[in-house]
Amino acid sequence: MGQGTPGGLNRQLPGDRKNDGDKKEKKFEPAAPPARVGRKQRKQKGSEAAARIPAVTPLTKCKLRLLKLERIKDYLLMEEEFVANQERLKPQEEKTEEDRSKVDDLRGSPMSVGNLEELIDENHAIVSSSVGPEYYVGILSFVDKDQLEPGCAILMHNKVLSVVGLLQDDVDPMVSVMKVEKAPLESYADIGGLDAQIQEIKEAVELPLTHPELYEDIGIKPPKGVILYGEPGTGKTLLAKAVANSTSATFLRVVGSELIQKYLGDGPKLVRELFRVADDLSPSIVFIDEIDAVGTKRYDAHSGGEREIQRTMLELLNQLDGFDSRGDVKVILATNKIESLDPALLRPGRIDRKIEFPLPDIKTRRRIFQIHTARMTLADDVNLEEFVMTKDEFSGADIKAICTEAGLLALRERRMKVTHADFKKAKDKVMFKKKEGVPEGLYM
Amino acid sequence: MSKTPDPNSTDASGSKSTKEEATIKVPSKDPKKKDDKKDEDLSEEDLALKQQLELYVERAQDADPGLQKVALESMRQEIRTSTSSMTSVPKPLKFLRPHYGTLKGFYEKMPDSDLKKLMADILSVLALTMSAEGERESLKYRLVGSQGEIGSWGHEYVRNLAGEISQEYVKRQSEEASIDDLMELVQQIVAFHMKHNAEPEAVDLLMEVEDLDLLVEHVDNTNYKRTCSYLTSSANLPPTYKLFSFDSGTIVKIGVDLLHYEPYLSNKVLRKPFFPIFSLLWMCQFLSGGSQGVKTPYLPGPDDMLVLDIAYTIYMKFEEYPSALVTALYLDNTQYVKQVFTSCDDLLRKKQFCYILARHGQTFELDEEMCAEDEEREGLQEIINNTKLSEGYLTLARDIEVMEAKTPDDIYKPHLLDGRASAGASVDSARQNLASTFVNAFVNAGFGQDKLMTVPSEASSGGASTSWLFKNKEHGKASAAASLGMILLWDVDSGLAQIDKYFHSTDTHVIAGALLGVGIVNCGIKNECDPALALLAEYIDKEDPSIRIGAIMGLGLAYAGSQNEQIRSKLTPILGDSKASLDVLAFTAISLGLVYVGSCNEEIAQAIIFALMERSESELGEPFARLLPLGLGLLYLGKQESVEATAEVSKTFNEKIRKHCDMTLLSCAYAGTGNVLKVQHFLGQCAQHFEKGETFQGPAVLGIAMVAMAEELGLEMAIRSLEHLLQYGEQNIRRAVPLALALLCISNPKVNVMDTLSRLSHDSDSEVAMAAIISLGLIGAGTNNARIAGMLRNLSSYYYKEANLLFCVRIAQGLVHLGKGLLTLSPYHSEHFLLSPTALAGLVTLLHACLDMKAIILGKYHYILYFLTLAMQPRMLLTVDENLKPLSVPVRVGQAVDVVGQAGRPKTITGFQTHSTPVLLAAGDRAELATEKYIPLSPILEGFVILKENPDYRDDQ
Repeated sequence: MGQGTPGGLNRQLPGDRKNDGDKKEKKFEPAAPPARVGRKQRKQKGSEAAARIPAVTPLTKCKLRLLKLERIKDYLLMEEEFVANQERLKPQEEKTEEDRSKVDDLRGSPMSVGNLEELIDENHAIVSSSVGPEYYVGILSFVDKDQLEPGCAILMHNKVLSVVGLLQDDVDPMVSVMKVEKAPLESYADIGGLDAQIQEIKEAVELPLTHPELYEDIGIKPPKGVILYGEPGTGKTLLAKAVANSTSATFLRVVGSELIQKYLGDGPKLVRELFRVADDLSPSIVFIDEIDAVGTKRYDAHSGGEREIQRTMLELLNQLDGFDSRGDVKVILATNKIESLDPALLRPGRIDRKIEFPLPDIKTRRRIFQIHTARMTLADDVNLEEFVMTKDEFSGADIKAICTEAGLLALRERRMKVTHADFKKAKDKVMFKKKEGVPEGLYM
Repeated sequence: MSKTPDPNSTDASGSKSTKEEATIKVPSKDPKKKDDKKDEDLSEEDLALKQQLELYVERAQDADPGLQKVALESMRQEIRTSTSSMTSVPKPLKFLRPHYGTLKGFYEKMPDSDLKKLMADILSVLALTMSAEGERESLKYRLVGSQGEIGSWGHEYVRNLAGEISQEYVKRQSEEASIDDLMELVQQIVAFHMKHNAEPEAVDLLMEVEDLDLLVEHVDNTNYKRTCSYLTSSANLPPTYKLFSFDSGTIVKIGVDLLHYEPYLSNKVLRKPFFPIFSLLWMCQFLSGGSQGVKTPYLPGPDDMLVLDIAYTIYMKFEEYPSALVTALYLDNTQYVKQVFTSCDDLLRKKQFCYILARHGQTFELDEEMCAEDEEREGLQEIINNTKLSEGYLTLARDIEVMEAKTPDDIYKPHLLDGRASAGASVDSARQNLASTFVNAFVNAGFGQDKLMTVPSEASSGGASTSWLFKNKEHGKASAAASLGMILLWDVDSGLAQIDKYFHSTDTHVIAGALLGVGIVNCGIKNECDPALALLAEYIDKEDPSIRIGAIMGLGLAYAGSQNEQIRSKLTPILGDSKASLDVLAFTAISLGLVYVGSCNEEIAQAIIFALMERSESELGEPFARLLPLGLGLLYLGKQESVEATAEVSKTFNEKIRKHCDMTLLSCAYAGTGNVLKVQHFLGQCAQHFEKGETFQGPAVLGIAMVAMAEELGLEMAIRSLEHLLQYGEQNIRRAVPLALALLCISNPKVNVMDTLSRLSHDSDSEVAMAAIISLGLIGAGTNNARIAGMLRNLSSYYYKEANLLFCVRIAQGLVHLGKGLLTLSPYHSEHFLLSPTALAGLVTLLHACLDMKAIILGKYHYILYFLTLAMQPRMLLTVDENLKPLSVPVRVGQAVDVVGQAGRPKTITGFQTHSTPVLLAAGDRAELATEKYIPLSPILEGFVILKENPDYRDDQ
């Protein structure tokens, strides 16, 4: 029929010879290409999955586990030995070189990048490039057809547009940006107070990744995620930074608003990609800041945009506790408006722990002042206790602002030291701003 | 086991040290910073505590003993009462850290007294966080301390001590110092662990100090099960190996040095004593080929046996006889089996033992000691002889309502294929009919009725039955006649009656088939009057080779594993007969191998060796000559080192068969052991590339599977290794890989293996494709797996013009629907713990035959497929009451979960469904009773299980 020659290149089988295009022939065709499977399945047998070593059952650290792990190591060593041997025995270095250059010639340059829309048969596919129409083109024989799948990024010849290669890394570039490559500088030591919060987040996020056996011993499932909430400036993001600083797990950070995309379906797709990457790179921690950007309560939305945001949240719900289990992926959410979040997002099983960040108490305030003034040159008359003990409600960020402001004031007067008066002025200024123009003590 | 000082390889200390690091590191960061600013950032209570402790430290160094005592006591109080989260060091310990040195110094100066001991105790605890890696100060002070209750300082302390003990033990062993004081401490720790649900840690510690016997005293009713399951699964990972990293340069040098000795080695007299050098040479060659390291056995072989011995002792102590029996069977220790019987005096339980023995396929004679009453003994023996198997199987079939016979067309389902295939198949060739015969036999195996062979008994004489039989050509008729045996499998009485009519036939092939059929019917069943032997014996020496083969194979099937003297005396002469044709010889060797499987019988080994030596070189090149070494190998199945003498002899064989023989022997001897060294050896053999004509790599590939199939991890890793073989191997290796995969996943269709095989079934090399297709059948054997069935259906239309491939597809289809999905071919049973040697022998024989598909299965020896009968077992759970009548109770069936080493009472199955017995159990499934009304007499709910009424049961209403 009009679909070109079915059947493989190197297969001389009876079925192919009898290519007279009758109906039975067509019905039978799907059986022939053996390794052509949909996307879902590729995941299981993709190279990473095949490379994965079997799970070792007793999670407790015991000799049995050691024996099992050693057994796996033995086998891996043997594999390595075997493969190394074979690679060494393989002759014809030159020949491959020659072949390679031939392939390069065939590919031509430049190659255009496109999208594989549909596989028609072994040798033909429908492709599209980012602009313009879709084309029905051939696939060159040297392209690994097992790796082709609908939707993957491919390289096309610049003139005839035939498929000449495929782009291996199918991770959305948006997601790869989210990966924190360089650990932030803030560590736990930079957090004043918040001892209970640090402990809670450690138990919920770090320990399950480093010591899963502790949870097994007790017989509970480690929490999947936590939400950090509290007034602005109480240190939610700071704590997340400290977690990223101290962990060796992959840390992915997203801001809720990043998940809102221009086109329909892009937001949910991004969420999916995000979690897929997290799963691939597991153990990993996903940190979503300002979750209220997507996670607000559902209500009858009027505009398409709102509906899209809701769909993004639904996808998030599914990823957090959906059908597919996420093993070593922990989620940290942060918001300062927890009451506006959708209850489904916060239910146990999705977010097991809610960690509140209160305004600092006196002890904590003192610690924060100490941290921020540690590097400042203070005059002898500075009495921080006065600010520590005030009744005003400061957040951690306010204290930082006071210190900075005091420093700036000293700078203005070209002093080398920050005096107590600077601090007082700075405090009034900050509090004035905070109370929206109502001077302090007006109604007292 | 690990004697290295490496802390990660010691059990408790491993967990200890890492945890220690984790706990110390985090807080240590901030204190350091804070220390500059001194105590300012400490809360008030902390500050008070710190000052308090400092005071104690000062007081403890006071001259006044009274004051000292008070100080030390209160210090101890502080430490004990402090609690902390798992993320940080307890506060008192943290504050005492700076004073550790002072206290240590003061301790040395103290005069001997109770106070000194008290001080030692405290120092011992402090050393927990303070002492440097490898100093073992905690242990040091513990030993001189007051020896009080060990648990009072908390788990962490005990764990740390255990870790230090194992290090100390290694050190003292190497110095040959006394270990008495250590052992005393070990006693305490073990007692503590056992009391606190930490059985794995206790066992680990005892393994470290090589004194597992201690365990027996400490187990009690509540924890012996967990202890034993931990022990048995540790033993199931047989000998551990330590990898030494050698510089490959040195190895090459050793190798070259050794090569200088080679001229001497050619001297025959010297060859034997120099054998170790040979193997070393081989090793060196291997290593010089760019390998990573050499593995030497780290733990001497018998050690895992010792572990099981302890498990057995514990089971016996707590009268958990069925588990003891299973362990004894694993150890292959008849003495223990007898002991189980003699120490239990409950007849019902003995019956249960007999069911376990029967499933294992071992012939076992009860004597008076084991059961005094004659009548009872007969009853028990009957169970062991498996005479009730057919009945139970049919009960299952009736319950599941699959009694109705199926035709091959019901299996092929041509209506799903849209015409073309059926159009092609309408050419009724003999090959097609032969395939249908097999499919019919496999599908209706054991049901006693079908639509081709048995139907026409009511039709007039010479009806369809004979006509179906005679629809097959020549040797095909043998398989057709034998298929009647398969249909009537296990049902000796009616089976013999029905087969009888063929004995009067004039056609030699029909008679041969009938003889084989008799063997099949009796497979796994023992009968008092030995009908099989009586019927078959006279045909063994007939002229016609096909009749001879039929009789010989029949005997092999009927008496597999029985070690029957009579058979040996009848069959061995054939091996010495130089006129006998090679195929007769091959079948004789295999039958003898089956009857004496795993017995290491010298005489038979000799006979087979002579037969191999006598044959000419050209004959040894024949495919059938390759089955002779297999017969030899079966004699040593699973017997590990015992094979060495024979393997040595086999090195003198003609070079055509030498390597092949060597591989076969090794693979059989180490089958089911999980021995990594052997896997490495086989992989090494497969790494070589040859010109055409080498056959030994096939058995080597099968060897990998046979060795690795022992445990789950090895199995999965072996599947990975086989992928590499596919990638790099030559054609002859590629042909064997699907078969190896089939053996690894027999009756257990894993999706990844299924995908690999499906890919290979379209391979351009038709032999690879055939092997892959048969393997697809084998991995799905008896599962009715719809996915495999679909694949095979598509293949049948894909290959509809290729008679050979189509034949394979048909056989595979038959296998997938084996016994209409009620049977399994897996040689493992009792929760994948025990390996039935006869079942494995049957499988291996078939797989070896498949290595040369064209000559054997596609030739005229297709009846070799009936060797699969040995591995067929109903995959059922049939509960019976005290009178052995089927009893229907609700059971939960679900995926088994590995619960070894887990605390508490974790769920053993997941995703279960509740059915009422009898039920089918798939691979990896486990069942548990869903009612409290009955108590099963065996903890492993597989096969026949006797239920006893629970006397404590009370109905809710």
